[in-house]
Amino acid sequence: MQTKLVAAIGAVAVALPVANATAAVKKKVSTVTKTITGPQAVADRWGYVEVVLTVKKTTTTTGTRKKVTRTITNVSVPVYPNHTDRSVFINQQAIPLLTQEVLTTTKFNPNIQLVGGATATSYAFAQSLQAALLKAKSI
Amino acid sequence: MGMPIVVAARDGEVPDEVFDWFRHVDETFSTFKEESEVSRIRRGGLALEDASAEVQRVFARCEELREETRGFFDVEALGLDPSGFVKGWSVDEAAAILERAGLEEYAINAGGDIRTSGHWTIGIQHPLDAQAIAKVVEGDDLALATSGAYERGEHVRDPHTGVAPQGVLSVTVTGPDLGTADAYATAAFAMGARRGPAWTARLRGYEAMTILADGRVLSTPGFPAA
Repeated sequence: MQTKLVAAIGAVAVALPVANATAAVKKKVSTVTKTITGPQAVADRWGYVEVVLTVKKTTTTTGTRKKVTRTITNVSVPVYPNHTDRSVFINQQAIPLLTQEVLTTTKFNPNIQLVGGATATSYAFAQSLQAALLKAKSI
Repeated sequence: MGMPIVVAARDGEVPDEVFDWFRHVDETFSTFKEESEVSRIRRGGLALEDASAEVQRVFARCEELREETRGFFDVEALGLDPSGFVKGWSVDEAAAILERAGLEEYAINAGGDIRTSGHWTIGIQHPLDAQAIAKVVEGDDLALATSGAYERGEHVRDPHTGVAPQGVLSVTVTGPDLGTADAYATAAFAMGARRGPAWTARLRGYEAMTILADGRVLSTPGFPAA
């Protein structure tokens, strides 16, 4: 299974540009975009990894000379484990799905009826506050 | 369980049965009472197969949660201490008692873990300032559990490494079931700042808010912030 992972990485290397452009009399350019799905590889005991590459292949024909350039335009990982350090990078892709804001400190206000949180260090405070809030509500 | 429990109802009397239930849970599941079933299991005096059906169900659910959380909620790593689930689960069961008594507008707060029916406004305690609120949550029929470093010292550890997680001040999880929310919050907290928030983004049916030590607050899109 380790070898399959290597194969996926190999595909990245192949996709590097392979030739340089030279001036030409007649030039014809064609492009093809393909997605390539790698095999599902087992990552240790944590699960599978599957990599999908989108590769744009540009063929430039100058006379009888052909120049082929392959560029990776997108990499996605539809299947991945959640537990290895290696997957941390991939997991960080999920962070944009979270909204981000700055921690603020708000005072209690009479609309708050209950106090939640990991309250052990301040049981007494939270409980008496909550009791007070509930009482205030019933006035 | 050694924590205060507040039960409030707007549309009727809270039946005594609820408090009898919490006393029963404490007698059965307390890790501080030497003769509780769980204490006997922990010191090897009682085999899990010989425990009551209720205790077996709790441990079975904890095992499912271990798998759901990829090992980050692990009662075995804690020497068979299911407290992280029992707190929320006992509140879920208490809610069922209130429902059977015909109540529809109630709130139960067990040491900061909350379950409500009807519309309630809940302040989530600020992780660095016990006298302030970090977020206000508002909604109908909520279960809300928080795990944080400020809870009982650094008592949540990564069961894989035994190390207290870095960079996270607290994780609050909401969803239909408080026992599950409690276990998810514990797991996400144990995962630390890098892995925890991303993991919560993929939970189904549960929403989460993670407060990081650098002052960032990361919430899933459906988190019921007011």
